[in-house]
Amino acid sequence: MNMLKPFISILVIPAVFVCAATPGGASAQAPAAPQGPRAPDGKPNFTGVWAGPGFAHTVGPRDTDTPRVVAYDAKNFSPVKPGGESFLKRKLSGNTRADDPTAFCLPNGLTRQILSPYAQQWIQSPGHMVILYEYMHFFRAIPIGAANRPHDKDIEPTWMGDSIGWWDGDTFVIDTVGLKEWMFDASLDLGGNGEARWHSDALHFTERLRFADPATVSYTVTVDDPKIFTAPWSQEFGMKLHPTWKIFEFVCEENNRCQGGQCADSEGQKK
Amino acid sequence: MVKNLLSVIAALLVAAPSLYAHHSFAAEYDGTKPVKVTGIVRRVDWANPHIWFYVEGKDEITGRTAVWGFSAAPPGMLARRGITKDVLKIGDTIQVEGFLAKDGSANASGGRVTFADGRQVFTASAEDSAPK
Repeated sequence: MNMLKPFISILVIPAVFVCAATPGGASAQAPAAPQGPRAPDGKPNFTGVWAGPGFAHTVGPRDTDTPRVVAYDAKNFSPVKPGGESFLKRKLSGNTRADDPTAFCLPNGLTRQILSPYAQQWIQSPGHMVILYEYMHFFRAIPIGAANRPHDKDIEPTWMGDSIGWWDGDTFVIDTVGLKEWMFDASLDLGGNGEARWHSDALHFTERLRFADPATVSYTVTVDDPKIFTAPWSQEFGMKLHPTWKIFEFVCEENNRCQGGQCADSEGQKK
Repeated sequence: MVKNLLSVIAALLVAAPSLYAHHSFAAEYDGTKPVKVTGIVRRVDWANPHIWFYVEGKDEITGRTAVWGFSAAPPGMLARRGITKDVLKIGDTIQVEGFLAKDGSANASGGRVTFADGRQVFTASAEDSAPK
């Protein structure tokens, strides 16, 4: 991947007409000098509350940012294998539980979660990178160790998979396998195409994070899904640090009134 | 002071209407059925995964009169943008533009809220279709 390219254009679902502002013109090529905060052990320090890829990164007055719906850009995809289309493009059935399980408060899954336009808090220690996602209150506790070490054997597929981390110079690498076959992103019915994107349970997902400046991180993901694509492909996103932000509570089940398209009775509508 | 703050909030929201749902818009609402209800705020439920507010009034598109339920963004998302539940007060007269629930009930996505003094607040979720 040409890492000198500006941030690859981010596919924004048409309902959201927000410009795809690029965070900081980040370059992931080795900079001449270290950038960004440092942890006591000398590693780049990702601790803080971040606006992830699901924001425009246009920081406004009072430390605001603009959440937006982001999906993976098909322009980056490798060619799809014969038979891969059936994984990647699911025809919508009309059954919301199958078409968009998140409407029933089921998880986004890793690949969609990292794009969610909610805050995320990173807490770094020498041994772990902990990521707290506001959306659905998901978390990842990623052990940091040797590069390219093997994952545990016989991993049962889960929504967030088995993630391990390591340092590649000043780049933090997260390597994830063991993902349940699930929705790839929020591109449901994109442009009225009647489809939703899914990934397979063979997905190997790699995230590479590197400071571009003290408040901006280049966030490149590599998708290697051999049941769908002929080769791995990558897309570059960004994260912006927001010093005044905190994580808010998000309990999906609290008042999910119209799940599945059937709205429950409400006290607010009793005469 | 409060008015100034609300003006700032309104300006911010007009500039950036893209909030976010925890699910796709198409799962619950019909983008081909816009509603435009003018009425009185009867109740506000400031809770996850979306705030709901209830407006007793008439949809000027269909003529249907009801206590309409409008779904909007999550409380945390709104709070991060400086919007608290005080923005909608019981008894306020507002106009809400959004899209009807798929089940045809008197519920809708609550996109744009316009107050009597002309202030506009986008309370919708990002995956909701934007009111024209």
